[in-house]
Amino acid sequence: MLKVEKLSVSYGSVRALTEVDLEVRGDGTLHGVIGPNGAGKSTLLDAVCGRRRPTTGTVRYRDQDITRRSVAWRRRQGMARSFQRTSVFQDLTVYEQLHLVAQHLGDDRLDDVIAVMDLAGYLDQKAGRIAYGVQRRVDVALALIGRPHLLLMDEPGAGLSAAETLRLFEHLRDLVRERKIAAVVVEHDVDAVFACCGTVTVLDLGRHLATGTPQEIRADHRVVAAYLGTAA
Amino acid sequence: MNNRTTTTTAAGARPAAIGSFGGPSLRLPLTLGFVAIVFVAGAVAPSYFAGDFMLRLANEGLLLGMLALSVAFLMNQAGLVALGAASIYGGAGLLFAIAMSEWNMTPTGALCASFLIIVVYATVLGALIVRTNPLAFMMLTLAAGEMISHGVMLEGLRDYTGGADGLVVNFKGSIFGMEAADFASPARFWLVAWVGAWLAGLALWAVGRSRLGAILRAVRENEERMRFSGFDTYLPRLIAYVLVNIVAAIAGLLHVLNAGFVSPESLGLSISTNTLVAALMGGIAGSVGPIVGGLIFSFAQDEFGARGLTQLLTGIVIVVFIVVFPRGVVGGLWSAARLRARVGRRETS
Repeated sequence: MLKVEKLSVSYGSVRALTEVDLEVRGDGTLHGVIGPNGAGKSTLLDAVCGRRRPTTGTVRYRDQDITRRSVAWRRRQGMARSFQRTSVFQDLTVYEQLHLVAQHLGDDRLDDVIAVMDLAGYLDQKAGRIAYGVQRRVDVALALIGRPHLLLMDEPGAGLSAAETLRLFEHLRDLVRERKIAAVVVEHDVDAVFACCGTVTVLDLGRHLATGTPQEIRADHRVVAAYLGTAA
Repeated sequence: MNNRTTTTTAAGARPAAIGSFGGPSLRLPLTLGFVAIVFVAGAVAPSYFAGDFMLRLANEGLLLGMLALSVAFLMNQAGLVALGAASIYGGAGLLFAIAMSEWNMTPTGALCASFLIIVVYATVLGALIVRTNPLAFMMLTLAAGEMISHGVMLEGLRDYTGGADGLVVNFKGSIFGMEAADFASPARFWLVAWVGAWLAGLALWAVGRSRLGAILRAVRENEERMRFSGFDTYLPRLIAYVLVNIVAAIAGLLHVLNAGFVSPESLGLSISTNTLVAALMGGIAGSVGPIVGGLIFSFAQDEFGARGLTQLLTGIVIVVFIVVFPRGVVGGLWSAARLRARVGRRETS
């Protein structure tokens, strides 16, 4: 589904990512990406979704090189992104913004998304007036519209409690499994990642450190030394 | 404030989203009736009750209102402030005058030619500048406007543009059955300007309520999210920019037909800033506000000019209006009416 090869991203003289490889299969498992602050996790998602142009390397999506393609094109091809900081339309009601996007992407099953993200009780409210946790769900819902093949989620649990984050992850895991799609989730809540993700990639200082199952990652001494510490 | 039809979904009856027009409603026939009465009364009454001088002021106010409508639409829907409206307004008039005198075209031909040139110009300029952020857009429209307004004053173009003297329109023939004297008559021109303002207002109102309007407002609010939702954010803004310049061009052509003359001042920055002030005074949220703002501004300027204190009083009035009516006169009155209706509903329930 997604293959990133030797991806490097620089911000001026700062190297945010250095020759990172990543492969994500579309077999219905969550692929978690973890790492300390400044590891390049969000930059990786930015480069994959087209928000940031990589300095070198390629991004292949469904066997097609999309490195130079626009953000909007990628979205229309089924690559959806949610943001670390909630990005919704504050002055539109929840339903208005979901419908606007659904209409554009030709998705006539908006009710499914509303049900999955439990937004039925908020449809007539303006997004700027609902609780932050519900806004997060709207943000994720906007990414789910159009039946994407690949979900890129940047700290979907940001601002939520540990319990809410775990619940969200379980939702995502079930959704991804049911629809047999690929999902890459960047998250700081390591417990939620290990509980719900089938594969985990660890970045550190812009470099790939390890990829494996949660058990393999927990046992990897490099990961423990760089990130997990004795808590893992 | 959306008129929505309902569509049934698994979640139950759900108001249709933005971009759809209202369905059958008890209020609709009443509203349409009221609008029709206002339209007819406004078209006919001023000619009976107002003298030529008042009608001339009102005509100027309507045309300024149409220009303000173009600026207001772009601000409200797309979040973009255009400071070069006068270059389109005056430029359309100048092109018409040149087409009549230099190219020896018929009035209708000159109208079409100047209109088309403006549309092409707006498309090319818009293609370059709508990509930029709102502040850069504003400065670029200002720069383009100043370029045009100073360009027409160049000595090398004087034979075409008249330079600082302006250009008299050499009108021979008729347009839609109206001759030069008809356009110059305050009473007859009032009807033309009134219909023109209504058509422009209705057209932009319809665009605002269409899917294009919904997309523009969403792009204004969160452009990045729109791109990440698969939308092209460039083309809708370009279309909006061309549409508002079409309205500005129509206002400018009506102005030159009425005045019979185009002066370099009509392309200048003061017209652009007056336009912006008129839009803010009336309110930018709909089609009525800018038109009302144009009328208020036109009459106010005349009154202040009679006292010899145009700039001072205009400045004071602008400040007062913006403090007392931050949403403009029409926006403020509308909000007050809605609040009163809400209070009334609460009291009866």
